[in-house]
Amino acid sequence: MADNSRARCKTGIAGLDNILNGGIPRGNTILITGSCGTGKTTMSLEFLVHGALMGERSMYISVTEAPEKLVENMITYEFFDKKLIDDKKLIFVDLQEIYVKLGLEKLEFTLEDVNILVEQIVKMVKELGVRRLVIDSITSICYRLTSKEEIREFILHLGKELSDMGCTTILVSELLPSAQGYSQYGVEEAIADGIILMGNLERRGDLLRTIQVIKMRGTTHSRAKYVLDLTSIGVLIAPLLKGGSVEAR
Amino acid sequence: MGVTANVVSKLEELPSASSIAITTSVNSYFDVLRAIVDVFATRHDLYVFYVTSTIPSKNIENLFGLLGIDSSRVFFVDTISHLMKEASTTDDRYLYIESPTMLEYIMLKVEYLARKYNDKKAVVILDSVNSMSIYNGPKIMSEFLHILVTSLRSWDAYMTIIAMKEQNTEEIHSMLNMVCDEIYDVEEGE
Repeated sequence: MADNSRARCKTGIAGLDNILNGGIPRGNTILITGSCGTGKTTMSLEFLVHGALMGERSMYISVTEAPEKLVENMITYEFFDKKLIDDKKLIFVDLQEIYVKLGLEKLEFTLEDVNILVEQIVKMVKELGVRRLVIDSITSICYRLTSKEEIREFILHLGKELSDMGCTTILVSELLPSAQGYSQYGVEEAIADGIILMGNLERRGDLLRTIQVIKMRGTTHSRAKYVLDLTSIGVLIAPLLKGGSVEAR
Repeated sequence: MGVTANVVSKLEELPSASSIAITTSVNSYFDVLRAIVDVFATRHDLYVFYVTSTIPSKNIENLFGLLGIDSSRVFFVDTISHLMKEASTTDDRYLYIESPTMLEYIMLKVEYLARKYNDKKAVVILDSVNSMSIYNGPKIMSEFLHILVTSLRSWDAYMTIIAMKEQNTEEIHSMLNMVCDEIYDVEEGE
């Protein structure tokens, strides 16, 4: 049963904290999943910036995009303060550099490689006292894992270690618009403590960006679909009007 | 008293965070706008968040200029310029929405303005319920207006909905009756 008294990690995104009855239960590992252009990266970054502004050290591990480019995009946000990066409250890590450092520059990982990678991420979180972590994207890492068992082991192992340290983690998951389920490999969604689905909804020719919390262990939450807007003051969320709609993910 | 003075007088009676539908004829339309934008908002030092689905925002601003109405405190949420292929540079004074059918984005743009410009209270103008009803069915319109009016209350903002007498239907009247605190009927020849 959901325990609403559990400590919360406020996302700082007003509409989302309302949906989650106060925020993400601290220590949860959640999947933000959706097809391209649905706002996954933007929302994850906002989660980290608000954390850093609240004094929680926050780390973004980028797999696909250069951190410099991400920072450049963030300057347009009014709530972003570059000092957070200078003060190391907000840390960007390029996973490619970690691969090089660990000798993991290969197309396929063994179980041993997976464990090495998890240990390295855990070590960074521990040493730097990271309270909020985003890995963007988990799909790009899982691409190098050869079996569902390895993916399961990777996410379980990582999630447990981070949870034990009280680190709230967002794993960004990429979906094809035609995908069934909530993750590329079908394993991520079963293991994560929470799933936030971001999508596109077509209604009479209009394409609306939507967000829906599918599951979130440790709290009661709304399961309704909402519409979101990405603005310079952050993500804003409004209820989806029930005017008869056809879904296009 | 003239139309402008009467509308101002009516608005002055309202407690803050009220919602009012103003039904007007085409002849009195600009007097009503003058009452809200020029007199009421200026007197109470309010921002004006002007949702337009009838006339493109740039045209309204030009008309305000011709009528000598100060529009410096007005922010437009423009749902029509995209359809007219007239939407140009977006800044906070002119926020464009692709179509009047994207009702959730109207709510979101108004929320954006309310959050960002929160140093003063605001009056929101929806112009007009009739033109929005061309694009949206009564069910979704009622739902939209109900949520918008309710959320504006939490921002302590005034909500004014313009309804054109020449285009009003019984359905629109019932909808306004349901969502607004008051309906004010501008009398011809006031």
